[in-house]
Parts: sequence; structure tokens; C-alpha cells
Amino acid sequence: MSSTKHNATVCTNRLRVLASVLGLICGALPLSASRAAEAIKSTDFAELHKLIQPSEKESAWLSINWHTDLWKAREKAAAEGKPILLWEMDGHPLGCT
Amino acid sequence: MGRESIFANEEVIELINERFVPVAADDWYQRRRDDAVGKFFVGVANQGPRKGEGGNTRQGIYCFTASGKLLAYRNHHDAGVMLDEFRRALDKFAKLPPEDREPGAVEVPPLDDAKLDQRYARKLPTGAIAVRVFARALERDADGKCRTCAAESGKPSYGLLSSLDHLWIMPDEWRALAPRGAKVGDEFAVPAAVAQRIARYHLIDNTRGEPAMWRREEVRKNAMTLTVIEATATALKLRLDGEVLLSTDAEAEKAKRGYDARLLGHIELDRAKPAVQRFDIVALGDHWGESTYTRGARPGRTPFGIAFELADGKQAADAVPPQASREIGGYLRP
Repeated sequence: MSSTKHNATVCTNRLRVLASVLGLICGALPLSASRAAEAIKSTDFAELHKLIQPSEKESAWLSINWHTDLWKAREKAAAEGKPILLWEMDGHPLGCT
Repeated sequence: MGRESIFANEEVIELINERFVPVAADDWYQRRRDDAVGKFFVGVANQGPRKGEGGNTRQGIYCFTASGKLLAYRNHHDAGVMLDEFRRALDKFAKLPPEDREPGAVEVPPLDDAKLDQRYARKLPTGAIAVRVFARALERDADGKCRTCAAESGKPSYGLLSSLDHLWIMPDEWRALAPRGAKVGDEFAVPAAVAQRIARYHLIDNTRGEPAMWRREEVRKNAMTLTVIEATATALKLRLDGEVLLSTDAEAEKAKRGYDARLLGHIELDRAKPAVQRFDIVALGDHWGESTYTRGARPGRTPFGIAFELADGKQAADAVPPQASREIGGYLRP
């Protein structure tokens, strides 16, 4: 092997080792470090989709028979002889608050 | 917060369902409405402590009669405190003269839709679809698998529960998801307005309150592609693949707030009706930072997931407009 070829091979090997070490370091970095998001695996999709949604316990507030139209609630209250309970928030209480 | 602290309480649920007519509303719209609905609400609220001087919020929990007499007002996050308040309101109601409380005694004038203040009467446009959008802070186990975050013992789950908002897609937009002649293997971009609306207004952390939406220039990367998986005369199945980088600074490393995420989704259309049958998407990545009304973010970059599913209209909440649609023009033309 010529000296030039030998030096090139050594250089390439060193680069490979360096790349491997960097790869290991990056792989071991905590989540707080900056990195691009990883693709979502098809096999994880259904589980993730469910995981992010509210559990039954978290959805308990939806078992209240909410109305979203104050006037319709008023008509119903008048017809049934009941008082109205209004949950009024900045940001819809049944939406993004 | 009230969802968990008050309205998930079994005693509260039972009392409200049996004795009240419950209604929920966004004060931002309600206090601005210059129509019969707005005037009725302001008339009730002005009997309590929140008179909305200078256009300020009137948020809270109100009990009142169909004729508009305030029975109780409180804005507290303890179920026990609110239960007492609700019971006091019922006692007051029972002591009112019959013309204020007997079934059919109060005459409610019919509402003329043509006279509603259209600036603040927001309804899903005809033919448009509503999609539920849930968001949740996540954590990873030792194997890197995502899981929900548990609250520390004795502490509330504030910020760790799944949040809810709604995405609206206009009729011409969802029809454009199914181009004529689309065949298996074809790839095309998600219509620009839909991709931008999802990125700017729905890939947000709304788990601790009203978040700042992403500005146009804060969408650093937004690539959403549809691939035809199945195509028949009556059905079209699409897979959505996406990658977004949303950050308050052009250099994401320096950004105070950001979301670096990938998307995967499954969309199905009935070509015969035509109609959207499925709109399931997951966004997963790292989120960091907070905005004015969403203080208390977890430190650093942490896993954050967002899930989309078609609203079937069976829940009252399905009628709630997207948070970002307060500025409807900007929402529809993002």
C-alpha cells in the first residue's frame, strides 16, 4: 500500500470512529437536548392516538348535560321550571381553556 | 381547571343534571355580543360582582332564573365550595314567587337569528367539518416509550390532563383532499390553508390555559404530505406524513417557545356521499416554553402529543368553535 493510500485509509477509519462516538453521544443525550423529532412508527399510532385523548375519568365533566346556547338553555329552564347554571370562562369551558 | 376540580365531582354532576339547566360559554364572545343574548347575559352579570368595567372579563359560575334574576355567582375551584353555592342558589330559587320559577311561567321571547351579532355568534359553516383536537404533556419511560405524566402525590393534575380544542375544515378544503383520479401511491401536499391552520392554531400547548398561537413567521418548517393508500369508486384512504418546526426564534436553539414534531395520520373519505369518514392524526415531538396565559410549563424540551379525530356531533362540546376562530378571517386564511 502506498503511503498516500495508507494515510487516506487511516484518516477514513478515524472519521468512522469519530462518527460512531458522536453517534453514541447523541443517542445518549437526554430529551432536553435539541434534536429533530423522530418519525412516528405506524405500529405506535393507535396507542399514541388513544394515550393523548382524555381517559374516562378525565372526561367525567362531559357527563353533565351541557348546553352551548344560552338562549336554548333559557327556554329549557323556563319550560321545566329550573334555574340555569352558566359556566362562563375566557376561552370556552368545553373547548380550549 | 374546573373540569377536574369541580365538574368531575360525582355529587356536583348529579346535582347539576337533576336540578339545573347547565350551559357553558366563552366570555370573550358573550361579553361583546350586541344582541338579545349578549344583553340578557350582561343584565344577569351586572347583578353580581363582575360588572365588566372597561370591557373586562365577567368569567365565573353563575346561577340565575330564566327571567334573568341572579341567584349566585362564584369563581372558585373547590367542588365543596361550589356545591354549597349551588345549594344556596337552589334555596333562593325555591323561595321566589311562582311567576319566576314554575314550569312555563317565564315567557322567553323567540330569538331572531337574523338579528344575532354575527361578529360574535360563531357556528360551524354549512358543509364544514369539525375535528376534535386533544393535547397532552407526555414523558418517556426507560425504553423511550411515551406515557402520560402522573401528578405528584397530593398535588393537582394541572397541566397534565388532556386538553380539547376543535379544528374546522371548510367544504372546499376537505373536498380538495380527494383529487379526481387519485390512485394508490399518489402523493400530494395537504392543501396549504389546512396545513397552515393545523400548524399555527392546533399544534399548540393549551394544557394550562389559553396559549399564544404561532405567528406566520414562527412556522419554520411545515411539510405535510398525503399518500393514497386505497382508492375505489366509493372510498379513498390516505396516509398523512408531516414534519413541523415551530419556534419563536429563527434559531430553534435560542427560541423561548417551540414545538419540533412529526405527524402521522389516517384520513378516509366516502367519495359517493361525499364525506369525511375518518380524520385521525397524531403529532408527537418535543415542546418547550410557555406564553402569557400558560405559565407553569415543564422545564426544557419535553415530549408533547396532539391527537386529532373527527367530531361526530354527539357531544355538546363538538359545537364549540376553535379557540383561534375568534379572529375568524385569520383562522380561515392562515
